[in-house]
Amino acid sequence: MGFSLFANLAFNGLITGLVVSLLALSITLVFGIARFPNAAAGDVATVGAFAGLLGPLAGGGTLWIILCGMAAGALLSVAFYFLLFRPLAGKSAVSSLIASIGMAFFVRAALTFFLGHDQRVYPLPIVRAMPVGPLRVQPTDIEIVVAAVLALAAVFSILHLTPIGKRMRAVADNAELARVSGIRANRVLVAMWLIAGLLAGLSGTLLGVKTVVSPEMGWDLLMPAFAATILGTIGNPVGAVLGGVLIGLAQELSTPFVGFTYKLGVGFLVLLVTLLIRPQGLFAKNSLVR
Amino acid sequence: MSVLTVAGLSAGYGDVDILSGVDLRVEPLEIVTIAGTNGAGKSTLVKALMGLVPRVSGRLEFEGTSLLSLPAEKRLAMGISYVPQVANVFASLTVMENLEVVEGVADRRGRIATLLESFPVLRERARARAGALSGGERQQLAFARALMPEPRLLVLDEPTAALSPALVHQVLETIRELPRMKVSVLLVEQRARQALTISNRGYILDSGTVVIADTAERLLSDSRMAELYLGDH
Ligand SMILES: Nc1ncnc2c1ncn2[C@@H]1O[C@H](COP(=O)(O)OP(=O)(O)OP(=O)(O)O)[C@@H](O)[C@H]1O
Ligand SMILES: [Mg+2]
Repeated sequence: MGFSLFANLAFNGLITGLVVSLLALSITLVFGIARFPNAAAGDVATVGAFAGLLGPLAGGGTLWIILCGMAAGALLSVAFYFLLFRPLAGKSAVSSLIASIGMAFFVRAALTFFLGHDQRVYPLPIVRAMPVGPLRVQPTDIEIVVAAVLALAAVFSILHLTPIGKRMRAVADNAELARVSGIRANRVLVAMWLIAGLLAGLSGTLLGVKTVVSPEMGWDLLMPAFAATILGTIGNPVGAVLGGVLIGLAQELSTPFVGFTYKLGVGFLVLLVTLLIRPQGLFAKNSLVR
Repeated sequence: MSVLTVAGLSAGYGDVDILSGVDLRVEPLEIVTIAGTNGAGKSTLVKALMGLVPRVSGRLEFEGTSLLSLPAEKRLAMGISYVPQVANVFASLTVMENLEVVEGVADRRGRIATLLESFPVLRERARARAGALSGGERQQLAFARALMPEPRLLVLDEPTAALSPALVHQVLETIRELPRMKVSVLLVEQRARQALTISNRGYILDSGTVVIADTAERLLSDSRMAELYLGDH
């Protein structure tokens, strides 16, 4: 593989990786605090991507697409909490997992019922890629990187610098000690589902900006996101982000060898290999959950 | 009025009663020890006080108000705080964060400053992750966290377990000082003999019931009981 091809694949890998990272961070926060793997995260991303189609009504441009997607993701996520995951909180993690799978299918069915199977694209101006060294860079690529990095920085600032973020980490660390320290789980959970929804919505719209919007997009993103979550140690936010970038790079750099159709399988392969060789993930030491 | 009144308390995790018909009280500014063998139900008893056991019945009052219908996260605001037997700090949070996350503290900064003065080791380690502290430091952090909201009753579950003899002495000295800070203490200890020397009264728990309740002095001088329950500590 020539250097220029390699560099372009790696750059695309970084972008895919950041999109995966955002969803992986959403999944790992839910796992760390609500303690179940949320299979509906991908379809929240899809709803966010479709809501992004409303962006032009609000003001046009990538920013409004993103804002509409994030708002829809947040609303749906918090609604899931109140309607579904809060009532199920006292039950086993399996009931919440099954409920999230059911919700994922329901959301996708509802989307295709009302909006059909068609792929859609955001009405963004088509711009020729700029050469940057060996790279061919679209302006939207830069916007995706900036949006993802800002969002990741915002989430980590919330977790480490704000009172609610510190309490989220306390609940993830030791839920019983958090209760006897007077921390109200309900408030922490609402904040967590809100952030998880914002992240999923952003992930969906950014994928839509990069590719197309379709009812299956979130479900297709879920496997690499789960792989990233587990690779980076489930419950560990930094691990989820690094895992996402690694998965994105692996997916794109493997395209010359496995072809475009099979690159999604790479996420699945990484997931299997991780589970078999190092089930605790790469960053077990710094996990929120011990 | 008693700080804590427990009467006819039964509790369990499933269908089986782990505790049955427990009577116990703590008077203002007393130190009260609960001793008993492994598995006697000591931890279950203090968890029931804190609202952490799924099934509890009987009478459970703090300063005359029933606690039974209050969820665990609201009992702290009543004035009752707790240091668990295991995992008694947030290991992945820093020392400072462990103190900051506690709810119901009016003057958070002032309170943290006061506690760091009482536990100077913690000031030096303020930015360290609690999981990286030594056993003694961690125990001090657990105390400081529990004392954040200025409780009137502190419930301690085996605070000296797994500490060196010198540290055991230090922790017991800290506990002895608590009534002077207007804090009553309910103390669970395996090292019952040492715990009773700083206590007013003691209860011996066996298979989920109180088998002996007496003043610390009489418990320490009763040789038959000493043989049975207090061990050689
Ligand atoms: N979460 C739980 N679920 C079910 N049973 C439990 C649970 N915790 C404790 N038990 C059972 O309750 C009984 C009393 O346990 P408990 O921990 O209260 O004893 P203890 O006196 O504190 O013992 P130790 O000195 O070892 O700390 C034991 O038989 C134990 O197996
Ligand atoms: Mg115990």
